Order: sequence, then structure tokens, then C-alpha cells
Amino acid sequence: MHEMSIAESLIEQIISVAKENSIVCVDEVEIETGYLKQIIPDVMQEAFKAVIKGTIAENAVLKITEISALAKCNLCKEEFTPELDNFLCPKCIKADVVTLKGDDIILKAVIGKEEKP
Amino acid sequence: MKVKVVKRVLDANNEIARKNREIFQKAGLIALNLISSPGSGKTTLLEETIPALKPQKSLVIVGDLQTARDAERVQECALDVVQINTGMSCHLYANQITESLSDLPLKEADYLFIENVGNMVCPGEFDLGENLKVILLSIPEGDDKVAKYPTIFRAADLVLLTKSDLLSVLKFDMVRVKEDIARLNANVSILEISCQTGEGMADWLKWLKDCHQKDIGAKAKFFTE
Repeated sequence: MHEMSIAESLIEQIISVAKENSIVCVDEVEIETGYLKQIIPDVMQEAFKAVIKGTIAENAVLKITEISALAKCNLCKEEFTPELDNFLCPKCIKADVVTLKGDDIILKAVIGKEEKP
Repeated sequence: MKVKVVKRVLDANNEIARKNREIFQKAGLIALNLISSPGSGKTTLLEETIPALKPQKSLVIVGDLQTARDAERVQECALDVVQINTGMSCHLYANQITESLSDLPLKEADYLFIENVGNMVCPGEFDLGENLKVILLSIPEGDDKVAKYPTIFRAADLVLLTKSDLLSVLKFDMVRVKEDIARLNANVSILEISCQTGEGMADWLKWLKDCHQKDIGAKAKFFTE
């Protein structure tokens, strides 16, 4: 259900990157979604369609790559793959961890046509 | 043309949140983001907590889709209150907090309670600049909610299990809830509290005052020395 909120922030960022680079029409957008963010691709696509209406990204295609999660135990420094509901270190059996990967949503690329000089 | 970037999608919100955090620090108050599903007792908790904290003073920002009912309930006991109506948005954004801060006497206050929109998902994604996240889970919601909404509990500094007086009449496996929380976050504090009977209120007030002392008291002492 949080895809819509994220899509609203995403479109602002896309427009800002496009403007900085004189892109007047966005054709494609690439994002990485961390596993721990629980983004459902189909829901994200629908939210994206809603927020691009009337913008320079109106016809843009959204490419989503999911990144798996990686956590590191603060106590024994063991690195492991956590589950959404389980961050217990396999060695210490304690959830005192920092997440290294998979806890972000990142805009990776904006592809489009530049303004003609 | 392909422009390669590496930008966190929520960076714009996070940057505003960082500035809010600086404002709180300069004003010498601690900000708490109260997150829960609707009806878990956030406003009732504030009605009981704010008078009990006196002479320490509290400000409140309340987020709701509609109405100013929650703000009306706490305005008697709080130093000042701002109600934000979010319309169709199911959470608060950091910039809404920034806009509210100009209406509040920050330097006179010790605590800022931000009562987020009732929702266990989206408020967890949007940093408001708070110092601490307090997640409320009321006993009638059931003992499966930590496992169902793990992300929000992973981010918590404190989990308050509210309406604990109902433990005597409802089935609620407390051991299961505490185990589920321990699987997510070993550093979170957990308190059981009832605004009806007052059970757990002293522990909650102590937790707040300890956090205030740790965050503000230490700095105040540092600056006067």
C-alpha cells in the first residue's frame, strides 16, 4: 500500500534529474527496490502510471530490479540474509544488526530525449 | 540520453527530516513519532501523559485524514497543538512538520509528540526528523500484528502494548508478541500500559524522562559548563 507514496516521491526526483540534464521527454526509468521495502512490482507499476500523467514522463516505462537483503550482526560481524520477520543472527541468535543491502529504493537511471539546441 | 544516478527515492523527504532534527536539537526538545493503527489509543495516551509530565511542557502535532477532533482533545493539557489534515494521504511528510513548527513555541517545550496518521505501513517509510519512534499495539488488535507488520516494529525504539487491562478478558499471547519483536530488534524496549487503570504509566513516564535527560539534559549540562 505504500507504493503510491513512493511513486509520488519518485516522479519528483525523475523530473528533477530530467531538468538538470535538459531531458524534455522521459522514455524509461530504472529503479532498484530493496527486498525489505516490500514493493510489489505490479502495484508499483500502477502507482507509477498514476503519477506520470501530465508530466514529461507521461509515456515512460518503469523497469524495476529487486535487490536481495543483507544484514550484518553488530556483535559478531557475521553477514547473513534476513527475512522480513526474522533478523536473528544465525550465530548469536540475537537481532542486533545493521542492514547492508535491500533496505532502500533507489533511482538508478533516467533515459530520455534531450532538448534540441 | 541515459542519465545514470544513484539517488534514494525518499532523499528529498529525508533531507527535510534532517533539518527538522537540527531544529529540535537547537530548541532543546525531543521529538517522538507515535505510530500505530487507528484506534490503538494514541490520543488517549497523550491525554494521560502530558499532564503527568508537568512541569515539563509538551507540544503536539496531530495527523489525521479529516477533522480536528484529536487536536481538540489534547489542546487543554498541551502547551500548543497543530492539527494537520492529510486528505487522502495515509502518513505525514517531513515538510508538513516543518510547516507546523513555525506555529509552535519550540523553545518553551521539552517534548514534541507527533501523532502520525493511524497506519502501520507508510508512516514507517517517512522520517519526520523525530528522535524516537514509539509504536503502539493495543491488545484488542491481536497478538499476530508484529509478525504481520514487521517493518514498523523493526524501526521502533519503544513498543507500547496499550489497553493492557483487556489482557484479562481477551486472548493475547504476550510471549509470542515479545518473541516476534525480539526476532526483529534486540534493542527495542517493550512496555505494557493501560490508560484506564494507570498500569505501566510510571514506567512510560520514566522512559520518556530518561530519554529527555539523555538527549537534552546531557547537552544542556555540557553547554552550561
